[in-house]
Amino acid sequence: MKRIPVILDGDPGHDDAIAWVLARSRPELEILAVTTCSGNQTLEKTTYNAGRIMALIGLDVPLAAGRTKPLLAETMVAPSVHGESGLDGPVLPEPVREPEAEEAVRLMARLIQTSDRPVVLIPTGPLTNIGALLLLYPQLKSKIRHIFLMGGGLAHGNWTPAAEFNILVDPEAAEVVFESGIPITMAGLDVTEQALVYPEDFQRIRAVGNQVAEVTAEWLEFFYEFHRTLGYPGAPVHDAVAVTALIRPDLVTSIDRYVVIERGGEYCRGATVGDIWNLSGKPPNVRCLMGIDRQGFVDLLVQAVEHYGRGVDNEA
Amino acid sequence: MKPDPVEKRKIPPRHGPFQVDRDSFMETCFSGGDSIPVWFDCDTGVDDANALLLLHQLDCFRLVGVSTVAGNVVLEKTTDNTLRVLELAGSSVPVYRGAGLPLIRDQITAPEVHGTDGLGGVILPQPARTIEDKPAWDALYEAALAHKGQLVLIAVGPMTNIGLALAKYKDLPSLLKRVVIMGGAARGGNTTPAAEFNILVDPEAADMLFNCGIQVAMCGLDMTLQAFLTVEELEELGRLGSSQALFARNCLQKALAYSLTLGQPGIALHDPAAVLYAADDSIFEAWPAWIRVETQGRHTYGKTVTDLYSDKKKPHRPQLVVTAVDREKFKARLFYLMGRYGK
Repeated sequence: MKRIPVILDGDPGHDDAIAWVLARSRPELEILAVTTCSGNQTLEKTTYNAGRIMALIGLDVPLAAGRTKPLLAETMVAPSVHGESGLDGPVLPEPVREPEAEEAVRLMARLIQTSDRPVVLIPTGPLTNIGALLLLYPQLKSKIRHIFLMGGGLAHGNWTPAAEFNILVDPEAAEVVFESGIPITMAGLDVTEQALVYPEDFQRIRAVGNQVAEVTAEWLEFFYEFHRTLGYPGAPVHDAVAVTALIRPDLVTSIDRYVVIERGGEYCRGATVGDIWNLSGKPPNVRCLMGIDRQGFVDLLVQAVEHYGRGVDNEA
Repeated sequence: MKPDPVEKRKIPPRHGPFQVDRDSFMETCFSGGDSIPVWFDCDTGVDDANALLLLHQLDCFRLVGVSTVAGNVVLEKTTDNTLRVLELAGSSVPVYRGAGLPLIRDQITAPEVHGTDGLGGVILPQPARTIEDKPAWDALYEAALAHKGQLVLIAVGPMTNIGLALAKYKDLPSLLKRVVIMGGAARGGNTTPAAEFNILVDPEAADMLFNCGIQVAMCGLDMTLQAFLTVEELEELGRLGSSQALFARNCLQKALAYSLTLGQPGIALHDPAAVLYAADDSIFEAWPAWIRVETQGRHTYGKTVTDLYSDKKKPHRPQLVVTAVDREKFKARLFYLMGRYGK
């Protein structure tokens, strides 16, 4: 089997972490590297978190930190959702591997350049690194097969009424990505708010019995606690939907639309504006995910943690 | 108004199944009680025309004034069309001419939906009566004063007249009982990807209304796109047989064809839906929200920005977003009211 080379770029983050647990469990994916950006927490924290997650899931590939700040905007973080560490909750193993001296964008460029197959990018944080990559190395566009991103939403935002957090943090980078011409699949709030993992599902995951399963269940519990106060009946595991769309496209539904990023505006900065009724006459540039088979998604997460071994409790 | 649903669940359900305990339409609208004074501001327009026909048949409302504004077509035509449609309805309500241009923006019209004449190419007889002399905003304010806080304002065109009235009369918000508008959308748009026509035409005026301190019930595309008639149902409407019903069917043909090209299931009756919401809201779903209008964005100006679906709710959520309607019951009410013509 020819595996799909992917680069995981994120700002972990509970849902980034679960997305990576899922990606690492799939034999059809060849993870070339992990890169980090500022988002859910500062770059220093997200990079440390990435190292801890990689130690947990036994992912031994290069890790590189990206830009400390968005392309133009000021840094914005989300401690209310992910805690002060950016990945509050369970105790994690310390990183095994030091981050590379090479900066994320240069590492990505080198790996894409030298890959014998086009690379898939899976950004689950602000698009700062990917935007910088496309600005600095436009000649590499043809070697990027697809971008599966978590961010935005056609219908509404979450951090502001109009904007989703990842896009709001760096709308300029998002615009570079959305106008790049590279095939894009957007796991926006339209779908990710349906990708709910319920408290009873946490128990299914925990019951798998290995360390990754236990930690994933605790992440979900932490993540759910915040969302419960907002009225969600479960934890929306946003970032894992981007990975799901790549490996199990049968679980999601989508529409292809022309989508632009609003960079200005009094209330709408960071909005992903989708042309639902094809009013602009412009060809679609984004596959917008709109629905997900929730049960299938949960089953997929259970299978993912099973990849890390059956626990002692289950061996009987 | 329903209790704040946000505590229970983040995302309001998008579509039925509706659970309407009782249909209070007949009781509310035809009980023979005191009628409510209503002011109607419109840019007639084929769906405005249908809304006017319905308004005239609602016993619960007493239409005290109609004002016209530029929108679907230019002011001269929206005014002339309003007079003609009221004549067809048999109404003698006074009509006041309003603003011919948006507050600060260039004019936009929608001939692809309403025809260049604004009535989808249907020619109605020349009305016997004429327009009043007084400007719309003065007449609206005087009516609000005269009805001592009881006046209900239904605005289904661009909000220019309302914006001018608010600019001129600071106490106007305190004199109105309710404001119901057709305009905007919590999700999407119909003229640009982000904006609905009425708000896009004059975003500044609309934002003045949302920011004036009075509760606005926003009947936007979220709901009005559910208030549609299919091709067959529109034919059925025409077969009611009265000249008014036949006009309703005929004037909507062009807009119907346009809607079908967009992939919609029929012709959405935007303005009639707002009128029926104002009359009796029992078949509609509405949620408290914060609403403002984006006036600065490059791709989003004219968008009604609401916190309805957002994780971050604003502390003060004074408006209502009408998100859904029971289409079957909407249709039944529409047919009942149109069926009263010619009887």
